[in-house]
Amino acid sequence: MRRSKWQLAMACLLSVCLLVTVTGCGDTGTDAGKDAIKLGVILPLTGSEAMFGTMEKNAFEMAYEELKAAGKTTINGKEIKLVFEDDQGRQDVAKSATEKLVNQDKVALLSGGYSSACTNVIAGSAQTMNIPFVAVTGSADDITKKGWQWVFRGTAAPASKYTGALWDMMDNVIKSKTVAIIYENTDFGTSSAKGFRQECQKRGIQVVFDQHYESGAIDFKPMLANLKNTSPDLVFAVSYVMDAAMIVKQMKEIDFNSKFFVGGGAGYTMPEFKENAGDASEFVASTTLWVPGVTWPGAGDFFKKYTDKYTKEPDYHGAQAYATAYVLIDALNRAGDLSPAGIQKALKETDLMTVMGPIKFEDWEGYTNQTKPSTYVVQWQKGKLEVVWPEKVKSAAHVYPVPNWKER
Amino acid sequence: MELLSQTIICGILLGGMYALIAIGMTLIMGVMNIVNLAHGALVMVGMYVTYVCAQEFGVDPYLGMFVAMLVLFFLGCLIQKFMINRLVEVESILPENQVLLTVGIMLVLTEGIRLIFKSDYRSVVTSYSSDTLYFSGMAISVPMLTGFFIAMLFTFLLHLFLTRTDLGKSIRATAQDRDAAVYMGINASKITMITFGLGAALAAAGGSLLLPLFYLWPDIGHLFTAKSFIITILGGLGSTGGAIVGGLILGIAESLGATYISMGYKDVVGLVIFLLVLLFLPGGVRSLVKRWQA
Amino acid sequence: MNKIKKLNWLFALLVLLAAIAVPWVIKAPYHLHILILVMVWATIGTAWNLLGGYTGQVSFGHAAFFGVGAYAAGLLNLHYGLSPWWGMALGPVVAALAALPIGLICFRLRGPYFALAMLALGEIFRLMFTNLTEFTNGAKGVLIMPEITSKMFFYYVGLTVLVVTLLVTYLIVHSKIGYYLVSIREDQDAATSLGIPTTFYKNVALLPSAFFTGLAGAFYMNYVAFIDPNIVFNLSNVSVMVILVVMMGGVATTWGPTIGAGIYIALGEYFRATLGSANVLVFGILVCLIIMFMPNGIIGGLETLKQKFFRSGTGLPGGGNGEVLRS
Repeated sequence: MRRSKWQLAMACLLSVCLLVTVTGCGDTGTDAGKDAIKLGVILPLTGSEAMFGTMEKNAFEMAYEELKAAGKTTINGKEIKLVFEDDQGRQDVAKSATEKLVNQDKVALLSGGYSSACTNVIAGSAQTMNIPFVAVTGSADDITKKGWQWVFRGTAAPASKYTGALWDMMDNVIKSKTVAIIYENTDFGTSSAKGFRQECQKRGIQVVFDQHYESGAIDFKPMLANLKNTSPDLVFAVSYVMDAAMIVKQMKEIDFNSKFFVGGGAGYTMPEFKENAGDASEFVASTTLWVPGVTWPGAGDFFKKYTDKYTKEPDYHGAQAYATAYVLIDALNRAGDLSPAGIQKALKETDLMTVMGPIKFEDWEGYTNQTKPSTYVVQWQKGKLEVVWPEKVKSAAHVYPVPNWKER
Repeated sequence: MELLSQTIICGILLGGMYALIAIGMTLIMGVMNIVNLAHGALVMVGMYVTYVCAQEFGVDPYLGMFVAMLVLFFLGCLIQKFMINRLVEVESILPENQVLLTVGIMLVLTEGIRLIFKSDYRSVVTSYSSDTLYFSGMAISVPMLTGFFIAMLFTFLLHLFLTRTDLGKSIRATAQDRDAAVYMGINASKITMITFGLGAALAAAGGSLLLPLFYLWPDIGHLFTAKSFIITILGGLGSTGGAIVGGLILGIAESLGATYISMGYKDVVGLVIFLLVLLFLPGGVRSLVKRWQA
Repeated sequence: MNKIKKLNWLFALLVLLAAIAVPWVIKAPYHLHILILVMVWATIGTAWNLLGGYTGQVSFGHAAFFGVGAYAAGLLNLHYGLSPWWGMALGPVVAALAALPIGLICFRLRGPYFALAMLALGEIFRLMFTNLTEFTNGAKGVLIMPEITSKMFFYYVGLTVLVVTLLVTYLIVHSKIGYYLVSIREDQDAATSLGIPTTFYKNVALLPSAFFTGLAGAFYMNYVAFIDPNIVFNLSNVSVMVILVVMMGGVATTWGPTIGAGIYIALGEYFRATLGSANVLVFGILVCLIIMFMPNGIIGGLETLKQKFFRSGTGLPGGGNGEVLRS
């Protein structure tokens, strides 16, 4: 019986220690900058999504330095400061990070969020605490469809709207009769596929194959062999980075030809895709939100500067973060007062040209504070990612139909 | 018919490589009777060693594999000697805290690699990476076929080692009855150390064989840990032959599930087979063979 | 004997009063948030401890019960528009119902085989909830708008959940059933030969364990307001984490899981806030060290330390040390 008394004593002692630790947690940042305007950014800096989180952090810092050089980071003698928090790609940690930034660091506004899950949680918390939150990458439709006034999304399209330019191209050039859809069973994958399926129904296009898979498989041939038997005109695939490379490589192996293979963003536009898939990547097309060759002012410069500085090519995630940093600091500069409501008002009035195109937070089709996305169709040609649609901004002519594997 | 044979062949080839990774685990589980959740992380570290060899020194992955095996052998020995062995000796309420230690090791290995290499996706592209053989309407990837045969060769060599050499016999003796082995004058702690090293080396070999056709990132380990468990149980603890049969069963079952049910349910098929075997054939394939012999 | 027992209850009461007073002392929502997470994990840990610690059936699949509880709350809201708070009633019941067939299947197995079967079941739940998109919303998850935002409210609900869990577990363990459970852990064959229906008592331990894990899941859903299969059925972030929590605190002790959860969550958060990208690595090293040097968790470790103190203390001239510690 003495044992459990001892336990209780320990429990008391440890809970005191715990309280001290917990209180200690937040104190680190509170006194450092009373005169600073803090901008909280939550990104996955460890865990399996760290690759993108780090890229976005770099882009944020790069934009901040540029703006600092331009003298935009000081407002009325108060300096704007970026405060980064790691969410480890886990949503309960994202919630903790949000709580810390808002209640301990007293940030003026929030940004970040890579995965849809984390973005959902941050958005919900920001809405309940009445702090403006500008999402960077999270693309789940729900995030801006709940009518949440404190949540803004400028640089990312809702997943079901990723394919705008593709449909334009479909109607004018491709005119497929049968399509196949393959997608990963994640939030992004299912939302994209759902959007694509609905558009197909609207146009009376027959979906001959429709299957999802678990990300991270080594062997896609069983699915692809089935797909081959349905011989669709066009294949629409939504895949995470490396699944994309595995899929096109194995398509080549089993000699499956379609007139056009188009990815739904994400995996099919990354430098890693090209590297791993090798020549199987040739003529693979994809919808995307951004490419280095896009005509928006500063896009090419951003790509070059980032590549020089961090010796790694950025993809659209980097551009999203870079553009978001510009939007945030622009809004802070315009805000009449730096209360959450003042910043919310300034954000709402945003009309800024960025490397991701014009950003304007509008309410449309049930979305709230959502920029109308500009999307592109890109195609790998001779190892380079070329914009092939819309006509106005294309950097190369499209190749359609794509030659068969054996005729290359 | 073509679809069926293509599916089965893919399953067999992949299953063979899974089997090599699982043999490492079956050895460790057989001799030490612990569930090693760090096994996948060991595969991952092995793959990174091979990757560095290929990227920095231009060594072909099939040769770099031997470097990786050597490195992982020593890493495995160190982990066993200085970390896991400590727990074998002390008394605790639940012996499962060894499992938790392997979780800690997994965290440290994964995050350590992440600090060095970042979370970037890496791949080794070789001249033969996308070579394919065509055979009456079926497509067979060359690196997959090569990997399968090397895996089988390793398994055969391991079998010889375990049955023909003194060290191998000591390992089997320790697995069968640790106490009896100690009475016979076997240095059990040395044997467990070598077994752990050997298991890690085989894991590295299995991972390296996948490198030319797959890719690499720090969290890849989870994939292999789960598969190794299933195969180990399918085959029966500590049985190399069983692990091969288990690997092939899992490979074929996953392939068939992916072709005829859906890619999304591929892993469910594997897990359900796993549960069924646990329930109705707890000794795995090995017990079946024994029953048949008797 | 009786006096000491009374003293124990008095201590427990004091701790409870202190816990009730906390939100008036610490008003910062961030700190309350961390304490709420601690209570969620302490609840799951205590529930797991009943099956894993006392009965010795180490489950690697408690995420299944956690997820079912959380989804019960989420789906009520999604499909029927009911307040997710009803999930606090439904979630644990559904989790316990799910535990019935699971117990039937898995208790035929022992030791590492049982652990692995539970692991497989947890994963099967995750994959089914991902694939049954019509019913569960699949990978998109369930997002709700919390009606109540006051941290203090969540703190007290969490505290109630934890106290009830602790109390029920304590009563079970310190009843006759408790002795049966421990006897199963120590030597199942001996227990069987003494006429204890082991499978029955394993189920007796499993049902409350699943029930309270489901309750924690439903509370978690209400608090965090978003779940998807990869979060609540996660092998490493739920099933394995709960074992870590219990083992760090102290297996088969009343207060171990609570202490473990406190240390695990608070330290994890502290590292995350201060150490940058190396935070998980440092945490992993710490886990290794704790398990290596305190194989029975912190309570177990202190217990050993205490014994050593007494033993060396009696031999030495200044043995008064022990006296101080004992009081």
